[in-house]
Amino acid sequence: MISNKKNAFLRDYLLSLLLPGLGHIVRGWWRKGLLFWLFLAAMCGTLYLAVLRGRLAWLAGPSEYWFSTTMLFLFFAILWLWAFFDLRRSIRASDEKSFVQGYWQIVSRRFSKDPKGLVGLGIIAIVCYVAIFAPFFAHGNALKMDLVNFLAPPSAQHPLGLDNFGRDVLDRIIFGSRVALGIGGVATLLNMLFGGFLGLIGGYFRGVPDAVIMRILEIVNSIPFLVLVLLIVSLWGAGITTLIVVLGIFGLGPARIIRSEVLSVREEDYILAARAVGAPTLRIILRHVLPNAIASLLVVTTMTIGVNIIVVAGLSFLGFGVRPPIPSWGAMLQQAQEFMRSAWWMAVYPGLCIIITVFGFNILGDSLRDVLDPRLK
Amino acid sequence: MAVVLFGLTLLLFVLLKTMPGDPARIMAGLGATPESIEVLRHRLGLYDPLYVQYWRLISGLVNGQLQAMTYHKPVWTVIVERLPATVELGVAAVILALFVSIPAGLLSAIYRNSPLLMGISIPVFWFALMLMLVFGVILHILPVSGRGATLFGWSFLTVDGLRHLIIPSVALSSVLMALNARLTRASMLEVMRQEYINTARAKGLRERVVLIKHAFRNALPPVVTNIGLQVGTIFAGAVLTETTTAWPGIGRLIYDSILRRDQSVVFGLALFMGACYMISYLIVDLLYAYIDPRITYD
Repeated sequence: MISNKKNAFLRDYLLSLLLPGLGHIVRGWWRKGLLFWLFLAAMCGTLYLAVLRGRLAWLAGPSEYWFSTTMLFLFFAILWLWAFFDLRRSIRASDEKSFVQGYWQIVSRRFSKDPKGLVGLGIIAIVCYVAIFAPFFAHGNALKMDLVNFLAPPSAQHPLGLDNFGRDVLDRIIFGSRVALGIGGVATLLNMLFGGFLGLIGGYFRGVPDAVIMRILEIVNSIPFLVLVLLIVSLWGAGITTLIVVLGIFGLGPARIIRSEVLSVREEDYILAARAVGAPTLRIILRHVLPNAIASLLVVTTMTIGVNIIVVAGLSFLGFGVRPPIPSWGAMLQQAQEFMRSAWWMAVYPGLCIIITVFGFNILGDSLRDVLDPRLK
Repeated sequence: MAVVLFGLTLLLFVLLKTMPGDPARIMAGLGATPESIEVLRHRLGLYDPLYVQYWRLISGLVNGQLQAMTYHKPVWTVIVERLPATVELGVAAVILALFVSIPAGLLSAIYRNSPLLMGISIPVFWFALMLMLVFGVILHILPVSGRGATLFGWSFLTVDGLRHLIIPSVALSSVLMALNARLTRASMLEVMRQEYINTARAKGLRERVVLIKHAFRNALPPVVTNIGLQVGTIFAGAVLTETTTAWPGIGRLIYDSILRRDQSVVFGLALFMGACYMISYLIVDLLYAYIDPRITYD
């Protein structure tokens, strides 16, 4: 009996190693198994495209080939390992018949039942995937000009048409996703580190530091964020690095939210208990305050990425963000404005991409807010 | 508030002093000799200590003597000339937004669905472009850009001006619509949890009466007062909308001044926007106390 059971385990593990998701399907977990197959199919398709276009290269060609190639094989490895370990975890969980659930288990189960969050996550996953493997999906390289057919309308060869320099709009959109997500993501990381630090200090220590930080926040907040960033970027010179630094330092929106969260957490009894047993302040902040504020941190991060993407697009549209040869959605719209009468496709598609991406982040943040709140059972 | 305003002037001053490019050279124009630029530099006081320059800038703004570098007029004159355009744009956008967003938020609160997030994901400038494309370029029923004819400096008083106003104000209101609809929804859901709603239902009132007379009336004030807090959003949206549709307001002015490196206009205008924001914040605070007797300020 026991040996039988063990053999069954071994068979499923082997099947899972043979093909990710197969073990799940044999066990009857159809949805998860098919999801793994979907991922696998998408990645095989990407591999096929890469081989077809001859861009699967580590040493030859520009560095973006190198990056995408590495990432592709990394993704394959991750998929295999993930399927295997997920199967092992699921089998053990079903065996133990344990009904005790941790906070994150409850959260993940509630999240998987929330269509809003799943749609948002799906959108973000697709955009990230396209951004990482941009050179495999694009026909050309987003900079190649076709000065004979410039402003050509959408056709079978160029599904979204050509711009005023004869560059493929679809290719530029694909590469533009890298700029949007890269700047949005890194700037948000800085926002959370910097704003989070300020909010934590202000909320935890209160008194003078809090008053000073709040005055700084009010000063920075009193000018519209776009105008402030526009001003600073115009002073320091446009460029991706400047943009990230300026957005990262002056985007102090998260600080206020984190501060109010910390203010409420620090009044909890477990903080009092930690202080009573003599835990040092740093330990209280890192081990007790931060983990309990993580829910709102996640929501704020997601929402902030959306805001940053819109601001970057707005700045690029005004000509102060990402400089023209580099493909970015905002700058594409700036060019489109001049040629609106003759080439509508230049204006429509980049904007749709901004909307869909930002919508993904907003809807995910909205869903996370519902899911992470333990009071809403 | 005074502290914040002072901090804002300091922040702006420091930022402007780090601006590359020589204001004297910009003011002197293209064909200027080095000698005349040097003279101008002395006249502008660029060699004075920083606190003297700071004081000159502030006092110049206060007594209205500060000259715009590229317009040959005092800064305030330039700003006041451009102000009506932005005011009417903003007011039109707010009115439009309220007319759409309050019913939308109400419905979304009653039927518990939220397609409203789409609204805040749409960039204003792209929406303006699309409106221009559809109504201006394809259908030819609305003018694409500019402000049209004006009467006493206001364009909503003439038919032509009103036609020009439609596209920018609809574009600008798209952000406000989404924000306010979400706010209405949240406020409505909050009110629906109150006990007097249960009481009203228990009395046997019709659902419509409960919703309109008891819930909606109490959900509305926070939404309306919150418009005061959206002044910053309106200004930011105005910069993008006005640049896209060539609407000659202060949003366009600050963009042009940044391009031309006109430090005094940028300084004055940024300060003006900051002050507007703070004043509206103050008004909203006072309004809260007026609307809700439970709130008192010592």
